[in-house]
Amino acid sequence: MLPPRMKQAITDNPKKLANLIDLVNLPTPLRDFMGQSQTSRLGCFMRVWSYIKENKLQDLNNKNVINCDEKLRSILLGKPQVELAELPALIKLHFPKKPN
Amino acid sequence: MKMGKLPTSLRAAASISRPKIAPSSLVSESSSPTPAKTRLSAISPRTRDDGESSRTPFKSPDLSAAKSLFNSMVATPDLRLHNSFLQSYASISTLGDSISLLRHMMKSHPTFSPDRSTYHILLAQSCRAPEPTLAGVHRALNLMSADGFAPDKVTADIAVRALSSSGRIDHALQLFDEMSLKHSVPDSYTYNFVVKCLCKCRSLSMVYEFIDKCRSSLGLKPDLVTYTIIIDNVCNTKNLREITRLVGVLGEEGFKPDCFLYNTIMKGYCMLSRGSEAIEVYNKMRENGVEPDLVTYNTLIFGLSKAGRAKEARKYLKIMAEKGHVPDVVTYTSLMNGLCRERDVLGAYALLEEMKESGVEPNACTYNTLLHGFCKAKMMEKGIELYGEMKAAGMELETAAYATLLRALCRQGKIADAYEVFDYAVESKSLTDVSAYSTLESALKEVNKHRE
Repeated sequence: MLPPRMKQAITDNPKKLANLIDLVNLPTPLRDFMGQSQTSRLGCFMRVWSYIKENKLQDLNNKNVINCDEKLRSILLGKPQVELAELPALIKLHFPKKPN
Repeated sequence: MKMGKLPTSLRAAASISRPKIAPSSLVSESSSPTPAKTRLSAISPRTRDDGESSRTPFKSPDLSAAKSLFNSMVATPDLRLHNSFLQSYASISTLGDSISLLRHMMKSHPTFSPDRSTYHILLAQSCRAPEPTLAGVHRALNLMSADGFAPDKVTADIAVRALSSSGRIDHALQLFDEMSLKHSVPDSYTYNFVVKCLCKCRSLSMVYEFIDKCRSSLGLKPDLVTYTIIIDNVCNTKNLREITRLVGVLGEEGFKPDCFLYNTIMKGYCMLSRGSEAIEVYNKMRENGVEPDLVTYNTLIFGLSKAGRAKEARKYLKIMAEKGHVPDVVTYTSLMNGLCRERDVLGAYALLEEMKESGVEPNACTYNTLLHGFCKAKMMEKGIELYGEMKAAGMELETAAYATLLRALCRQGKIADAYEVFDYAVESKSLTDVSAYSTLESALKEVNKHRE
C-alpha cells in the first residue's frame, strides 16, 4: 500500500515517477560501474551512495564532500571532489529526459 | 457424540463451525464500530471458511472421494457434524457437487435430516461463486423451498452479506428486492448492511434512492443505525451542508442520538476544522443527558487543535480528567499537534513529560508530531535529539516529519546528516525508496538553488 501523499504524487505526475523507476539502457561508463546494462535512476543513486559508504569516500574533515576514487570519477564528470548535495543532479546527467 | 473414529481435521472443523446464527442472537447494530465488525465477521461465511480451510479434511473437490469419506465416518446423530462436513466440502467444490453430496448424505444416512442451516451452507456457497447471474443462488433457494424450508429473514441476510463480500453488490441489491417480493421483507440488520455497502461503493444519491424505495414499497424505515452509517459516510466526504441537513432530519424524525452518533457528527465538524460546531455538539450532548466518553473528548481535542484553538483544547483536557476519563496517547498527541501548529513547540514538549509522568507511553505518532514541530520552528538541536531517540527505539518516520527534517538539515548545510536520515528512513521501511529519495532530491535541489 502506498501512502496517500505518494498516491497523490503519482496521479499528479506519473511521468516524474516513471523517470525515477523505469529501467534504462545505461551508457558505457555507467555500465562498467554498475556491472549491469540496465537500471533505474533510483537504483543507480542507491548503488553509488552505498559505494561511497562502503569505500569510506566521504572526506574526514567535511562529511559533505566526497573524495572520488578513479571508478567514481569515471561517472561523475571526472571531478576529484564532489559535494553530496550535487550527487543526485550529477547522476541525473546520465539519464536524459525522454522525448514525449 | 462419538468422536473416536473421526479424522482429526474434521473434529477441529466441527468444534468451530456453528449452525448459522439465528436472528435472535444477532447483536443489534451496536453503537461502537468494534462490535459491529465482530458481528460481521461472525456471520460472514467467507471469514469462517478461511479459518477452516487449513483444517479441511478434503484435499480435492472430487465428489466420489467425498462420498466415500462420508461413508467411512460413523453415523452420528449430531447435525452439527454433518453440516460442518458439508461446509468443508462446499469451501472447495462447486454448487452442483455440494448438492449431490447432500443428497448422498440424506440417502445413505436416513437418520440425518438437513435443517435450515444445511441449506444456508449451500446458499452461501452459491453466493461466493463469481457468476454473472443469480442462477446458482436461485437454485440453492429453490432447493431449500422444495425441501420444506421457506427462505426467511436469516436466509436473506446470509445471501446478501455473502454476495456483497464477494463483490457482487448489484446481485445483492437484486436479491434484496426479490426476497422482499417473494418471501419475507428483510430485517433492519440486512437493510442497514445494504445501506453501508451502498455508502461505501456507490453514490449518496443511490443510498437515498434505496432508502426511499424501501420506505415506500416495503415499509422499512431508516433507524438510528442507518442515520449513523450515512452521517459517518457524509462526514468522511467532508460534505458540511449534508451533515447539517441530516442532523436537522434526525431532529424532525424524533430520533434521540446516542453517544456514538454524537461522536460521529462531531468528527465530521472536526475534520472540517469547525471548532465552534464541535463544541456545540458537545454542549448539546450534555443538554440531552448523553454522557461524553473518551472518544468524544479525543475528537473534540483533536478538532480544536486542528482548528488552531489549542488553548481551548487544553481546557477540555482538564475537564475530561475531572469527569474521570483518563487521557490516552491520542489525546496528548492531538493536543501536541495543536500546540505545534501555534508554534508553541516547547509547550508541546512539556506535554510529553506530563504524559510520561501520568503513565501514558508516547508512540511513534507522538514523536513524529514533536519532530515535525521542532523542525518547523527551526529548533534543530532539540529536533536532532528527538530523532536520535526515535532511531534508538526503532520508530518509523512519517512522511511529513521526514520531509521537514530533511529540508531543515539541508538548509543548515548538514547534507551528510540528511543522507543519514534518508538511510534510516529506507532501512526502517518508514517510506518507500521512491518517496524517501524524491524528498531528498527536492530538498537538495532547493538548497542548491539558494546557493547559486
